[in-house]
Amino acid sequence: MAVPTFDAIVVGSGITGGWAAKELCERGLRTLVLEAGRPIDPARDYVEHVPPWEMKFRGLGDRKALERDQFIQRHCYACNEYSGKFFVNDRDNPYTFDPAKPFHWIRGRQVGGRSIMWGRQVYRWSDLDFEANARDGLGVDWPIRYADIAPWYDLVEQFIGISGEALGLPQLPDGKFLPPMALNCAETVVKEAIAKRFGGERVLTIGRCAVLSVAHGGRAACHYCGPCERGCITHSYFNSIGVTLPAARATGRLTLRPYSVVHSVMYDEKRDRAAGVRVVDAQTREPLEFRARVIFLCASTLESTRILLNSKSPRFPNGLANSSGELGRNLMDHVMGGGAGGIIPGMEDRTVHGRRPNGVYVPRFRNVTAPHSDFLRGYGFQGGASQAGWRRVDSLPGFGRALKEALGTPGPWRFGFYGFGECLPRPTNFVELDPNTVDAWGIPALRIHCEWSDNERKLLHDMSVTAAEMLEAAGAREVEPFVEQNPPGLTIHEMGTARMGRDPKTSVLNAHNQTHDVKNLFVTDGACMASSACQNPSITYMALTARAAAYAVDAMRRREL
Amino acid sequence: MNRRELLGVLAAAVAGPAPGWLSADGLFARGRTAHRRARGRAFQVFDPHQAETVAAMAEMIIPETDTPGARAAQVPEFMDLLVAESASDEERASFLRGLGDVDTRSRDAFGVEFVAATEAQRVAILAGLDAEVQALRQAGEKAEEHFFQRLKWLTVYGYCTSEIGATAGLRYETLPGSYDGCAEVRASRAAPGDF
Repeated sequence: MAVPTFDAIVVGSGITGGWAAKELCERGLRTLVLEAGRPIDPARDYVEHVPPWEMKFRGLGDRKALERDQFIQRHCYACNEYSGKFFVNDRDNPYTFDPAKPFHWIRGRQVGGRSIMWGRQVYRWSDLDFEANARDGLGVDWPIRYADIAPWYDLVEQFIGISGEALGLPQLPDGKFLPPMALNCAETVVKEAIAKRFGGERVLTIGRCAVLSVAHGGRAACHYCGPCERGCITHSYFNSIGVTLPAARATGRLTLRPYSVVHSVMYDEKRDRAAGVRVVDAQTREPLEFRARVIFLCASTLESTRILLNSKSPRFPNGLANSSGELGRNLMDHVMGGGAGGIIPGMEDRTVHGRRPNGVYVPRFRNVTAPHSDFLRGYGFQGGASQAGWRRVDSLPGFGRALKEALGTPGPWRFGFYGFGECLPRPTNFVELDPNTVDAWGIPALRIHCEWSDNERKLLHDMSVTAAEMLEAAGAREVEPFVEQNPPGLTIHEMGTARMGRDPKTSVLNAHNQTHDVKNLFVTDGACMASSACQNPSITYMALTARAAAYAVDAMRRREL
Repeated sequence: MNRRELLGVLAAAVAGPAPGWLSADGLFARGRTAHRRARGRAFQVFDPHQAETVAAMAEMIIPETDTPGARAAQVPEFMDLLVAESASDEERASFLRGLGDVDTRSRDAFGVEFVAATEAQRVAILAGLDAEVQALRQAGEKAEEHFFQRLKWLTVYGYCTSEIGATAGLRYETLPGSYDGCAEVRASRAAPGDF
């Protein structure tokens, strides 16, 4: 039987795979999207409106099943009784690490990937970020600057719909925003106090998020039910199932094949091109091959790198497109969990109506205009204010009628700032294939070597100091700074390992996410990142993907590919 | 948050005396349980006496008022499920020891098991248990490991996430439809962040 042949193959159907599929299909390519996991039917699989009493454990989850099957995934807040099905089975999907240096790899294998349960926060990078490596000499210089990506941010934002407030800050460029969601009363108090005390250096704004504040592109506005990570039947937040994959399908050029675990990319030595991909059918275990003129790896940071490491040939014995030896190196994740909490007094007669799937944001203010003496780069805060209702009641004294009445009464306004900091690129944080471990489909597993450095630890500490300062400026009571000890990976902003760069000797990808070594092979997910900044990265991956797809199609038209 | 709370509630062992023996009230409760089991809601862990004891305690924590209480919300069944299927063997044994200790306290003070005690006697026992929890909390010790705190948390969580508790008691809305960040507080409305 002839090997099925397409114009393009996209590996992965999530945040970046959906964008690659849309752009390649719309630009005329017959595109095969290979997804390792199962198909998702929103009507059947989304559970955002299922009340707790219809869940066996009322949302607490089947603890023993989690301990047995999802002992890594369960560390993610969103891997609960409702959305746990969107996270992988850890026994089928092993990876290894030194127990003294844990890395929590949180993964989703289904059509839509992690775009189903992602955090939905979107922040543009600026030249403060794209110039960071060149400025302090760490890693390699980005081969692009803000001007290269800005129009692609525009394109992505306008298509998927981002609600947010324009601020005019140079370190956090404004985007094409839908109206911002509202702050609640306590957040307004803190915002005004910060503006007064820190005079524009620190700014609190509503989160910029991929949730529709008004109807957009045929999708309904958010109805404020709350738990986006369980899916959204009205497609009011962005995921690939509801937004990019339908656009790709509308062209008539999309073929989406679930249950297709990509084993490796085939390399044609004679023609010096990627010829196609080898696949293991997840259900039948049958080995399959698919061919195409151009291949986009969008399988997620570590999966794309794993596929390349597993694609060995005489020309590339250490992994495809790895003549630099940089493939697998410079793994990063944002360091999270320095911050502070406190009670904002007053407003006892006020509460919120609706569950807003968004919080507040404080853009980076360290090392923006003046260098800080203790650490490089910076961090931003997410957070917000809320009142506990019945969830605080078990800690109140007493029992009986008065305790029961407290169940329906909101408690004080509690405000929390939670920091996300930049991780420096270091070659000592790396992944390789583990020679002794394979997954359920016989594909070699990764061994991950990753740990924080002093710079990340100093950022965490500074987060706790500056968060407490802002709460104190707002007149908060019982201010409690904290510094959590989270392992890398758990922020789920893992990136790097196939970095972009100007020099083929020190980087894997060029300025267009094209591998230096193999011209018809592109990597457009988080693997491409040369530094991490401190902003949530998905919007940047999407913009880079759309940009790379346009470049690839143009190059094919020019017969360069 | 949920998970941490659950682990906290069911976490460490609490030393306590051996479980008490069954009483006439216990046998009566056994009959009720048999009836319930016949309707398809069997307890996996609690024996009839234990089931009746947790039901009585839960109903005292969240009593029936103008809205239903913990018993109507089937809080004992929820507790039994978590103790049976979520708790470790050690946590389960600890919980059951704590439950047995309630009868020991009742017998020591009033000469009868908890379920056979008068309303005033039961209130005295719960007040004593609750005071122990508050004392631990004020001393900065792990109050969540105290049996009564575990039971209280299970009661509150089980009630508020039951259909009766969430709808009749808290007016839980699946689809708020809009967001108002500074709305007037109205009585008996669940704080949205709690669901």
